[in-house]
Amino acid sequence: MLDISHVTKRYRRRTGAVLANDDVSLRLGAGEVVGLLGHNGAGKTTLVNQIVGLAAPTSGRITLDGHDLVAQPALARRLVSLQPQGQVPLDGITPRQAIELLGRLRGGGAATVRRRTTELIAALDIEEWATTVGNRLSGGVRRLVGFCMAAVVPGLLVTLDEPTNDVDPVRRTALWSLVRRLGDEGHAVLLVSHNVAEVERAVDRLVVLDRGRVVAEGTPSALKARVSNPLRLQILLAPGVPVPEAPYGEPSTLDGRWWRLHVAELDVAPAVAWARDLAAAGTALEFSLTPTSLEDVYVELVGGRTVDREGVEVVV
Amino acid sequence: MSSYGLLLRWQLLRLRIVLPLIVIVQTALAVSVVLGFVFLAPTVDRQVALYLATGAPTLGLLVVGLATAPQLVSQAKLQGSLDYLRALPVPRLAYLFADLTVWFVTALPGLAAALLVAALRFDLDYRISLLVVPAVVLTAVTATALGYGLAYALSPSATAVATQLLVLVVLLFSPITYPAGRLPAWLSAVHDVLPFRAMGDIVRGALTGDGSGTASAYLLVALWCAVGLVTTYTVMLRRD
Repeated sequence: MLDISHVTKRYRRRTGAVLANDDVSLRLGAGEVVGLLGHNGAGKTTLVNQIVGLAAPTSGRITLDGHDLVAQPALARRLVSLQPQGQVPLDGITPRQAIELLGRLRGGGAATVRRRTTELIAALDIEEWATTVGNRLSGGVRRLVGFCMAAVVPGLLVTLDEPTNDVDPVRRTALWSLVRRLGDEGHAVLLVSHNVAEVERAVDRLVVLDRGRVVAEGTPSALKARVSNPLRLQILLAPGVPVPEAPYGEPSTLDGRWWRLHVAELDVAPAVAWARDLAAAGTALEFSLTPTSLEDVYVELVGGRTVDREGVEVVV
Repeated sequence: MSSYGLLLRWQLLRLRIVLPLIVIVQTALAVSVVLGFVFLAPTVDRQVALYLATGAPTLGLLVVGLATAPQLVSQAKLQGSLDYLRALPVPRLAYLFADLTVWFVTALPGLAAALLVAALRFDLDYRISLLVVPAVVLTAVTATALGYGLAYALSPSATAVATQLLVLVVLLFSPITYPAGRLPAWLSAVHDVLPFRAMGDIVRGALTGDGSGTASAYLLVALWCAVGLVTTYTVMLRRD
């Protein structure tokens, strides 16, 4: 369905050229929900802007169902529905009016659009604000309305740029099931996010961008399998204590006083005993052993902080 | 409903809080020109009165198109909503014409109020011809298209400076509310190229039948209208 092939996007700025996307290739099939992960500035939104025709690639091809989206930006706007990274314009207009107008502008019939709007508003439990003008809505509700505007008459491809920012946990869950349903109805969904843990539950596949390049791609479990030591030992160090030498678990990262080590399954028993000794000696305040999360994999892929023997943080 | 109709509805909903205010301010401005500029003229004969009566509506159309409309485009640009609208499956022209309609309708009450107040204040009779429709529509569309062209092509801060400068030029240094003969020759020559005097002329010609709405004046305004529309349309199509 969506085929992005060797897309490079270079911007000229006063400070020099910026390489926002560097030879990016990815595919999305019908019904597939794919997460596009990356830091701020990794090139995610630039890629989305090129898909919907707001930006043109410096080189490379983007096709959807065989149509060249770069050559036909007007067609791209018809075939792709978008929830933008910023807030949708709701000044002076109520959620229901905005969603219905968008549905009609996307070519939906009046009755179908009205029914679908009611369904979406109910599914996200935002009925109480359905007739409140946008200026008086909270950021989270505006975000949900932005999602509804993309989903009311969805395109072959639905792109959602950070759809859950500012949204409460209960409605996030509702939104993820609506995203899944879009996939089940045969739409391809490209989900842009930097919220790793959350995206994991909603997607079939993940693509990780770093500094404009695709650095990893696969199902969440395939990505997790890339880490050789699948368990993680977290130790909260006592204040002022230097980072001790780690007999088990490499690499390690330090986040404040939380020290995280990857531990091989065979080393689990001695590593836990060692952590218990650290706690007994007062070096550690508490510790826990958990499976490696997608977040750990992500940090490993796009770079995080590790500590050397002297406990100095090093950016990798 | 067509894209044009839906976008028009959206714009009217979006602006329903500010539009009444804009209409009030714009009407007050047009009426103030009629009543206030009298103090600048030593004697008010029939010619001065006709220039004020017909120049005030033209100024109203110009201020809405060259200042108010581009300010709201800049605001939409800053909020990111302009990019959102650009990503909708809507013909660019439908979007442009929906906006032109809104601004044209916004300028009409001021136009009518200025004419009425001037008629009462100066005891004037107009000789309104059917040409009033093309003259007013062309003036309003040209002003808005130029304002949009500016706001689309320039950054919001540059747009703010440019529109303020334009309002100053239009209000005081353009022969709209007074005859061109009062200007120094060089400035009068500049107005042979700019659209502002021609706009004043075609509106006055259509309202008074004094023959100032010449074909060349219509042509000059139409050319600037094309410049504004083409600039706006080109920038709308541009991709980063």
